[in-house]
Amino acid sequence: MAQATVYAATIAGVEALPVEVQADVSSGLPGFGIVGLGDTAVLEARDRVRSAVRAAGFDFPNARVLVNLAPAPLRKHGTGFDLPIALAILTATRQIPAALTQSATAVGELALDGTVRPVAGTLAYALAAARSGHELIGPTATLGAACAVEGLACRSLDALQDLRRGALGSAPLCSSGTPAPNVPDLCEVSGHAAARRALEIAAAGGHNLLMVGPPGSGKTLLARRLPGILPALDERERLETALVHSVAGLDESAVLAGVRPFRAPHHTCSVAGLAGGGSPPWPGEMSLAHNGVLFLDELPEFSPSALQTLRQPMEDGSLTLVRAEGRVRYPARFTLIAAMNPCPCGYLGDPERPCRCADGAVRRYITRIGGPLMDRMDLVVRVDRIDPDLLIAARPGESSSKVRTRVLTTRDFAAGRGGLAASLGGAELLSACRMRKRTSAEFTRTARSQHFSGRAVTRTLRVARTIADLDGAIAVDSSHLAEAVGYRGLEAQWAG
Amino acid sequence: MGRLAQPRFALSSNDAAYPACLRDLSDPPETLYVVGCSELLRPGLGVIGARRATPYGLESARRFAGWAAASGVTIVSGAAIGCDRAAGCAALEAGGRSVAVLGCGADIDYPTASADLLRQLRTSGAVVSEMPWGAPPTRWSFVRRNRIIAAFSAALLVVEAGLPSGTFTTADFALDIGRDVLAVPGSINHPESRGANRLIRQGATPITDVSELGQALEVAGLCLSAADDPLLASAPTDAIGRALLADPMRPDDLARALELDIVTVARRLGELEMRGIVVRTRDGRYAMQSASRARV
Repeated sequence: MAQATVYAATIAGVEALPVEVQADVSSGLPGFGIVGLGDTAVLEARDRVRSAVRAAGFDFPNARVLVNLAPAPLRKHGTGFDLPIALAILTATRQIPAALTQSATAVGELALDGTVRPVAGTLAYALAAARSGHELIGPTATLGAACAVEGLACRSLDALQDLRRGALGSAPLCSSGTPAPNVPDLCEVSGHAAARRALEIAAAGGHNLLMVGPPGSGKTLLARRLPGILPALDERERLETALVHSVAGLDESAVLAGVRPFRAPHHTCSVAGLAGGGSPPWPGEMSLAHNGVLFLDELPEFSPSALQTLRQPMEDGSLTLVRAEGRVRYPARFTLIAAMNPCPCGYLGDPERPCRCADGAVRRYITRIGGPLMDRMDLVVRVDRIDPDLLIAARPGESSSKVRTRVLTTRDFAAGRGGLAASLGGAELLSACRMRKRTSAEFTRTARSQHFSGRAVTRTLRVARTIADLDGAIAVDSSHLAEAVGYRGLEAQWAG
Repeated sequence: MGRLAQPRFALSSNDAAYPACLRDLSDPPETLYVVGCSELLRPGLGVIGARRATPYGLESARRFAGWAAASGVTIVSGAAIGCDRAAGCAALEAGGRSVAVLGCGADIDYPTASADLLRQLRTSGAVVSEMPWGAPPTRWSFVRRNRIIAAFSAALLVVEAGLPSGTFTTADFALDIGRDVLAVPGSINHPESRGANRLIRQGATPITDVSELGQALEVAGLCLSAADDPLLASAPTDAIGRALLADPMRPDDLARALELDIVTVARRLGELEMRGIVVRTRDGRYAMQSASRARV
């Protein structure tokens, strides 16, 4: 009778939970069973492991083989268990030394010829290994990302055959020269002075922005340039965001290089696509945009239920999916940039093409977004098509790096003052504004005469706070408020 | 819908009270259905314009109709959304008299958005139609209606018209029966002004202020009592205010035209908006609030 234990992990949400892979090889009718609530992919490991072990030149025991995945009540997903199962069986039958896997977490899928293939979520596995004080064993291809985890030793194993040499590869060196992130630059946008200013305010204060304009006016062009003027991700943010990308099986190298993610789901995106879901649960676009930008083009075309799922994460910075197999929490703190046409035909207010929409149709189109979501759009700005003459004659706009410098300065200033304005509310916001008595009296008067809603007052103050930060002003004064009033929502024009 | 309390009557073309001006038409209506005062059924100033009006068009309609009504001229219009309704409302606000000519029965509130105006007109003005009581609106009845507006107009003022525009049929009817056609010129840039500008090129009298309107109305044979221009503009002082007075504009265009920084423009516009001097229109431009023209 021979037993061995190898450590593995399974992904739940964006976390990898440690799992022990116990192999028991005993005399009896030859067979191979896996217990411990594995999904189909885990159960199929039996056939892959058997072939891979043989192909690598090892013996697959002609005995009764039982593999238990502990803790047994935890559901286990995916093909990452192939490698630990094979290692556990080889250790139990003393074909490889136990010391090799003693303090290691192994993860990898096996091909029938013994090759070890990468699986999604390496970063999560790496974090789990680091937490349990293990080293990580896996294919070289995935270990690059694992270097981001400090103090973790990695050992590469690209094929089971390599084990016959008795040694594993040492940790691959982290690629220090990160590829130059290729983010579009603001200097490619000419004109659009008002929209550029709004984009800068959004970047400086972390505000959500809604751009309204006819088709082809440059809304998407502008939105794509937001990540380029945002500060780079810091260490903690990099890891958080890369983790989501890793779990979703996406390339996390740009995120690890510090570039904020930019996610632009199509408007046919389902609720699960936006929020995450499925079985096993999978992160949605909102989580992939964590610490970055979520861009929703054609906002009113999204299904209302998908739009409503945006609300909770916008408040909490995360979202929790509750499913039959338990609850998973995905991080989702993003800046929402949305774009929409001013009316169903798209040409309301266009200088060239007449709009053919009836008043009521335009109103219905705009109200499709819903008040609660509209309330979270701090900045609303009109983006119009630029006259071709001006487009050709225009000088190139200011470059992203210049704008970014101002954004960084402003964010530093705001941090010294007490935090980004977008996250402030209520009394905290009022005290952060430090308005003079006269200014606040003036503002109150305006708010009353122009019928501002309570939400509109809060949004105007938030934006005014960021504008003051851009000026490096401790106190919000009337000129800051005046500019902020111009970024108020559509309800102002559609009231009455 | 309840029965209307106001006096209502039908005038057949044989009646002595049948308005003489309608006989100028080649096909005068057999019967004219009226709710309101019969004394108003004399030629006045017709004010018509685009339904999908810009702030400029609405503003012109209000300004000229308001002034003419205050000068004792009856304003004739179609009560349609946009310029027509603005003209009718301005006439009543100025304490003047106004007549609406409908394409449906004179007792029907159509368009519904003008229901308030129509109710007021039935009490203190008149609502007329050649369609029988209770007749629903149809597409063709509005073109026929336009000839009655033309007949009731000693002079016809087109405040704003795009291309193509229903206002042209009214202008054509007016020319056929020898009425004066006046037009408010618009920006050469704006598609909604092309129709009015074309009318001027074809010989309509351009109207740019109330004194010109006064002269044109005298030529058309209407007598005026003295009235002030209610919206006479005093010279605005700063460049942004002056620019908006001329034409509603977008912040980007303002900044470029005046060679100002966008932040300066945005702050000044916000300040003017907070003071209620400018408003943001639905198409994202900033326009001078009509009542505040004199206050900039």
